[in-house]
Amino acid sequence: MRAEDKARVVEEVIRRVWTEKIEDAQKGKTPLHTVINDTVYHERNRLSAEKKSKTVRQSKQYWKRVNKELLSASEEKQKEILKELVTLFTKEIVGNFNDNVYKFATGVLPVGLSVLLNTISPRVLISHFPRLPDISDRVIIRGEVEQIKALHKKGTVILVPTHSSNMDSIVVGWALHKIGLPPFAYGAGLNLFSNRIISYFMNNLGAYKVDRKKWNKVYKDTLKEYATVALENGYHNLFFPGGGRSRSGAVEQKLKLGLMGTGISAYINNLKNNKEKPNLYVVPCTLSYQLVLEGENLSEDFLKETGKSRYIIENDEFSQVRRILNFLTSTLRIDSRIYVHFCPAVDLFGNRVDNDGISYDNRGRKVDTTRYVLVNGEVDHLHQRDCQYTRNLGKKLSQAYLKYNVIMSTNIVAFVIFKMMKLNNPGLDLYSLIRTGEEEWTFSVDEVLLALDKLMNQLWSLEKNDKLLMDERLSGASTQDVLDRGLRHLKVYHRKPALLRKGEAIIANEPKLVMFYHNRLLHYGLEIE
Amino acid sequence: MVKYDSVGVLGGGSWGTTLAHLLGLNGQNVLLWLRDEKSCQELNDRHLNKKYTNETLISERVTATTSLEEVALRCEIITLAIPSHAFRKVAYELGNYLQADQILLSACKGLESKTYARMSSVLEEETCCQKIGALAGPNLYKEILSGHPSATVVASSFHEVIWKSIEVYSSKNFRVYGNDDLAGVELGGAIKNVIAIAAGIMDGLNYGSNVKALLLTRGITEMSRIGIQIGANPLTFTGLTGVGDTMVTCTSPLSRNYQVGYCLAKGETLESILENVVTIAEGVNTAKVLHDFAQSKGLEIPIIEGVYQVLYEKRDVMDVIFESMQRKASWEIDPTFTADA
Repeated sequence: MRAEDKARVVEEVIRRVWTEKIEDAQKGKTPLHTVINDTVYHERNRLSAEKKSKTVRQSKQYWKRVNKELLSASEEKQKEILKELVTLFTKEIVGNFNDNVYKFATGVLPVGLSVLLNTISPRVLISHFPRLPDISDRVIIRGEVEQIKALHKKGTVILVPTHSSNMDSIVVGWALHKIGLPPFAYGAGLNLFSNRIISYFMNNLGAYKVDRKKWNKVYKDTLKEYATVALENGYHNLFFPGGGRSRSGAVEQKLKLGLMGTGISAYINNLKNNKEKPNLYVVPCTLSYQLVLEGENLSEDFLKETGKSRYIIENDEFSQVRRILNFLTSTLRIDSRIYVHFCPAVDLFGNRVDNDGISYDNRGRKVDTTRYVLVNGEVDHLHQRDCQYTRNLGKKLSQAYLKYNVIMSTNIVAFVIFKMMKLNNPGLDLYSLIRTGEEEWTFSVDEVLLALDKLMNQLWSLEKNDKLLMDERLSGASTQDVLDRGLRHLKVYHRKPALLRKGEAIIANEPKLVMFYHNRLLHYGLEIE
Repeated sequence: MVKYDSVGVLGGGSWGTTLAHLLGLNGQNVLLWLRDEKSCQELNDRHLNKKYTNETLISERVTATTSLEEVALRCEIITLAIPSHAFRKVAYELGNYLQADQILLSACKGLESKTYARMSSVLEEETCCQKIGALAGPNLYKEILSGHPSATVVASSFHEVIWKSIEVYSSKNFRVYGNDDLAGVELGGAIKNVIAIAAGIMDGLNYGSNVKALLLTRGITEMSRIGIQIGANPLTFTGLTGVGDTMVTCTSPLSRNYQVGYCLAKGETLESILENVVTIAEGVNTAKVLHDFAQSKGLEIPIIEGVYQVLYEKRDVMDVIFESMQRKASWEIDPTFTADA
């Protein structure tokens, strides 16, 4: 957030959240005492599970004091305490964007992302990997680039990418810079700020802090209100509606739309305040990786109660500098690609918009979107209606994610092998298949090629019918070539290679990774039989 | 500030006319759209729609029109009582004039034959509106026109649609319930038409009450199997639009779908029934849609499948009944319906 806006935005967020809570209490909904008590309870609970440190000790003391004050607080005092809490959360969330640092980070350093990542430890990099390839050959930007550039001048853009890796925000940030757009505000998990150098850049690439361990309602409302006010002030935003990185490796289909809902709130506020550019545009974006940095940890987590047990992973590959470097060097050397595909933009109601920001229905008729948000003829909020609009928008995003998912050789080869594993063991569920299946899954190259051939036919047909996108390097490639490419990538980087070839046999060396890369092709009804 | 002055109903058949009449009795100004100029004039001059509702005097608050544009300009809530085969075309034409704040309700208990689509999906595809719902329930139009007590369900994902519809449609003789399971409500209304054909067949054969109870209860099971596939709540099928609508349609000779089954059992051909007895029976088309759907999903729906075979494969009624009674023995409660399944 720009320095000149920061104080005003902070003040506005505090005012709104505070006023809303007081009004709710006056209407008989939740008494202020309960609101504060609930916050204290959740925070103390959260802190009791944290590792001991000076900060944690200080925080515990703080909440103890709040709790004590609350016991004898008059109504006026309760209002005061609430304001203090909202102020605390707001200040914690707001980032420290600095234009100069942004220019430095993205402009002065010419090789972009690689150098940005390499700043984690330049000495290590220089001593071990003096000749790292240029990232701009590896991150391929495709799709409606001109549209997002046009729309960011017409209104406020909400960019909603798929989420596979903690590298996503950096990749998207770099892609936006590459196409000449300003940085987007981004709610980054606190764990991304744990490394001081990354934290410095995150702060200055438009990131604000989201502590996903904070479950109390005041915090969540403050966070949403901050996103709303930022949007109203014309800050383009980046949300990951998948609600965390895809543990399974599949394209997200069940979206968490809490933050997305702030779009409609901001739009209605803009209309009510007669803003010059009231419109918001939603641009879905797919990020397709040939190899995923945190593949091992994510797939492991997916298997452990499908991700619930460790929703917030703090110590995965992303937090290990060497793993990032290893990932970069081993994948970039073998021509590994990351596709950033900007999908066609829609409005907040899921209608297609053109480059002038005009909305159209399915039959190509212009739509006056202000009419969606009328209440008795006047523009106004209506909570359940607005939530439902956001759910409908979520369905459109899920469809776009599938349609613009770029299919890589790693996904294709893994899909064939995993399907063959399943076909050989029809009685086993997923967990048993991976954990207790055969000691060594071995398939002959010939049978793999046969299945691969069937799959490729289906994939090309799906691409022809605009149901998905294929990695452009696969165009004209033979089945053998696809297999070779897939194997070449799947045998590098991960500690235990996903697939290996030994003579005429292909071995599923790490079944959970095979499943992980296979899952990217779920939801298309593909079969190899 | 946007202002509307009427409530709209599209379709001048028996159900559309009845709904318009109900709204009129509730004190609403009603615009009833129909294609036929003569019927339009008859309604406006004499408050009659003889072709569909005989001598019943329709509320004077109902104004008939042949202009979809007029309905779209003046009505916030528009109910489409249009048969499934014509539904998309009318929705598209209406869509040329609609604005995004308007509420659309489908009163058609059918599915689209080519796409398997529910009517609410057709409305979503053909218009800019999102505030879409469906109106369904055990509602025989003759009983409603006679002023007998009755209840229906308005379903929508938007609570605003439910509350506004309840406000315009509820009256002392017509109770309206809300449900946010739009898929379940639409599906129940459509599937019961197929069950009703089966019920008509049984009555045509004078098979008595036991088999009717069998059809009703096992029909609900088949409804639930299909519903679960498309994300509906199986509990919806125990309500007005499931058990309620199936019960009334299966036991009342007034139902058109029932009449189709009854005449089939008496040896008439489907073609002659559709020409001479009933002009529209949604269950005939729905049976085909459900047959195709069940095939693609591997679902077991023996009653609906039996009706399909009689209608489309011209199989002998007795053979089909015999065959379905000889099916392998199984448990009554479908394991997929249990809470921990």
